[in-house]
Amino acid sequence: MKRHIFVFFVLLFVSCNAPKTDRASGNDQYLIPATAEEILKHVKDADARVVLVNVWATWCPPCVEEFPDLMAVYNQYKDQGLKIVFISADSESQADGAIAFLKAHGVDFPSYIKLKSDGAFINTLDPDWWGAIPATWLYDSEGNKRHFWLGKTSREQFEAKIRDVLMGGDQGVL
Amino acid sequence: MRKLLVIALVATMGFNAEAAKSETLALGAEAPVTDLEMKGTDGKMYTLDSVQGEKGTLVIFSCNSCPWAVKWESRVASIGNAYRGKGFGVIVINPNDPKRAAEDGFDEMVARAKALSYEFPYVVDPVSQVARAFGASRTPEIFLFNDKGKLAYHGAIDDNASDANAVEAAYLKDALDALLAGEAISVSETKALGCSIKFNEDS
Repeated sequence: MKRHIFVFFVLLFVSCNAPKTDRASGNDQYLIPATAEEILKHVKDADARVVLVNVWATWCPPCVEEFPDLMAVYNQYKDQGLKIVFISADSESQADGAIAFLKAHGVDFPSYIKLKSDGAFINTLDPDWWGAIPATWLYDSEGNKRHFWLGKTSREQFEAKIRDVLMGGDQGVL
Repeated sequence: MRKLLVIALVATMGFNAEAAKSETLALGAEAPVTDLEMKGTDGKMYTLDSVQGEKGTLVIFSCNSCPWAVKWESRVASIGNAYRGKGFGVIVINPNDPKRAAEDGFDEMVARAKALSYEFPYVVDPVSQVARAFGASRTPEIFLFNDKGKLAYHGAIDDNASDANAVEAAYLKDALDALLAGEAISVSETKALGCSIKFNEDS
């Protein structure tokens, strides 16, 4: 019982001290509110050999489960030209939790949080997508969509698809 | 060079396979696998044929485990119960593999259907077969068929999962009312965020 009370107060403390998405905290550069158009432009301008876009949310268990594998893959392939763009599907009221989650997983690059209605966001990001998350895309260095899939993915599966795009990028095939 | 070609072919096939998996039933199409038996939380067996209504049939892919489905589930109950009384067939299908989402076990489904006072079947999709045939990808996801068995509306329940009182566009209810009135459905396809279906991977 005592332990539960302790955990409760620790969580309360952490949540009260969680960073906000305001300019004063600097977290507006950490979890940037963005439209799908802005995110696609970022993907085009990324200057990377492979850009992995992942839509996730703190309320989505498979998204949370695959996150450590995604970060492991990022750390393994970033020097070979992989960039990751995380898009949080959390609501504005959940943004603090999303920021805390990203920081806890060592994300040290800007991430985004969805702006605009679900329908407009989904259709603009990819008309082939119906809104299920986790959703992951791989874009090549030219900004062309090369892979799109839904659901929790293992580290091996992420790696296989990333290597495929890396090879395609090298050889100019597909 | 030959090796490169093989790699390219395999990569292309992989991409196409992904695209095919996400292909969804088109508006105007008829429901597939209508004779497949699915076990309901009341212990009875149901098929999509057996739940057809004279005004149309409402098929909802939903589950216990997805927070988004939970946000909408009381609206699923109230809309389902209300329109079942107006001549629509209603069925909620849980496509998730309980091995991947423990809350989607049969006993948990029985408890949820009882708690929400569902007056329509809440059934198990054996090995996610129905969801695959529909091309469903998330929970909750709506497929509404008209009285001729053609898909008339596909997508979200409304435009606000979090707050039923703040809904501005009640897509499903509007589509049901349009079918009842014999009028055209003004918005027949919508998209919303939801949980990806935890497909059975053994099949």
